[in-house]
Amino acid sequence: MLEVELCGIRLRNPTMLASGILGTSGAALKRVAVSGGAGAIVTKSIGLTPREGHRNPTVVEISGGLISAIGLANPGYEEFGDEIRVAREGGVPVIGSVYGFNFAEYASVAEKLESYGVDAIELNISYPNVGKAGAFFGYSEELAHEVVKEVKKKVSLPVFAKLTAGAGDIVAIAKACEEAGADAITAIGALRAMKIDLVTGKPVLGNEVGGLSGPCIKPIALRCVYEIAREVGIPVIGCGGIATGEDAVEFFLAGARAVQIGTAVLYRGITVFKKVSQEIKEYLEENGYSSVDEIVGLALR
Amino acid sequence: MHEMQVVEIKRIIKETKRIKTFILDLDVSAIPGQFVMVWLPGVDEKPMSVSYAKGDLGITVLRLGDFTRRLFELSPGDLLGIRGPMGRGFKVYGDRLLLVGGGVGVAPLAPLAEEALAEGKEVTAIIGAITKSELLFVDRIERAGGRVLISTDDGSAGKKGFTTDVLRELLEEETFDQCFTCGPEIMMAKVLAITGEKGIPTQASLHRYFKCGIGICGQCVLDGIGLRVCKEGPTFRDKELRKSPEFGKYWRNAAGQKIYFGGKK
Repeated sequence: MLEVELCGIRLRNPTMLASGILGTSGAALKRVAVSGGAGAIVTKSIGLTPREGHRNPTVVEISGGLISAIGLANPGYEEFGDEIRVAREGGVPVIGSVYGFNFAEYASVAEKLESYGVDAIELNISYPNVGKAGAFFGYSEELAHEVVKEVKKKVSLPVFAKLTAGAGDIVAIAKACEEAGADAITAIGALRAMKIDLVTGKPVLGNEVGGLSGPCIKPIALRCVYEIAREVGIPVIGCGGIATGEDAVEFFLAGARAVQIGTAVLYRGITVFKKVSQEIKEYLEENGYSSVDEIVGLALR
Repeated sequence: MHEMQVVEIKRIIKETKRIKTFILDLDVSAIPGQFVMVWLPGVDEKPMSVSYAKGDLGITVLRLGDFTRRLFELSPGDLLGIRGPMGRGFKVYGDRLLLVGGGVGVAPLAPLAEEALAEGKEVTAIIGAITKSELLFVDRIERAGGRVLISTDDGSAGKKGFTTDVLRELLEEETFDQCFTCGPEIMMAKVLAITGEKGIPTQASLHRYFKCGIGICGQCVLDGIGLRVCKEGPTFRDKELRKSPEFGKYWRNAAGQKIYFGGKK
């Protein structure tokens, strides 16, 4: 009942671990698959060289979510093969998230992750807290188109493009990615935000600004998925503030074929994937549906 | 929610040449073994174990790098941002307790000793340092009624050698219901090996590079067992640590690369 297919990849349930949460090591990813119950896991975004990221505080809690600026910290693609190998022991599809500072970097890292045995590539063109990487490519139709095209030349795996609502017209970016050969769209990544401490009068985050995630961005994410799904033919993966089965169902109704969960790990623990899956199942049963597919895009009709 | 509270430093105690205790204007109840994230505005934020757990919260810090150097420049009345106490503290079982602390690792063991002694338990603490003047909380644990055995690397006090040498000798003669350890990880790995042979259940408090401190970024996850030091830890049971190929061998830097203790692979 919960099984879905995404670009030829079968998921035992439609909940995926979102990139950037618990994804730095194979051990963490494996735990999310095995104990957490995720249908697929997306790695932390990997780049060409090791990066320590921004200094602490890298995460601050606010009502309704989190603001974080980890700064694309990662061990670099050469060292990540071991982590992918361990992650794959989790028995669910592993999606390799990739960032870069130019097209060639995106393409080389994607190619390397493919050689490590990932099941798909997710291009991080949504991350907003490092100057000319990530979202830099997701703010422009031309750059988004080019990065997808260059990566598609190098890999044969399905390629997802993860977009940011910080773009002026996210639907136009989605269409540009589709034209360039993207196999799916993930929407959305964290939104630029900040927090200032009243006692010291200073920004709390080491990077001063960070990405807002969690329940407070859900309505924005849902609107993006709805508008994108109406305009593109490729699958859309919903991401942004999903914490319950009801949240996930809203995204399916808006046209998403699967959902990614990140910040909700904080509120409901690592088993949030199991819990959300069970809640989706209850919704389907109570409303007389026999599969997730039956409700995908109902709100668009 | 783990909200950041900005609080004043009430008192600063110079414990040794390189160790200071900061007593904060923050009345919260912590379990010994728990930690707080300490934010020095404009500088950085680091995890520190709680060394005074009841009443005004205290942390005891070894001057090591840039962050602790800046911390040591502060005076009473200066501000620190605090998240926590967070994480899993020590859990006391049994009546005869053994504590093994190396260097600043005695910090979380001292409040544990005080609380256990107040509850009428027997506490023996093995405390080690490089030299006599760097020994931490010997008086504090003795004052609370605990027995303290000392080792120093240079032999300036107690046994010349390591805490593990004292531990090995002690366990020839005596046994304990439970052991608690904190200090350099290579020392803790040896402690676990020794207490393991004797069948003494042992809890160890681990240190890792932290980012979020609330269990979502994945930075501090232990290989082999997938447990988060900030969430399921920082105290772990021996049976958990024995399943991790990482314990006693390496940690991960801010980029997530493995860094081997002692520089060897």
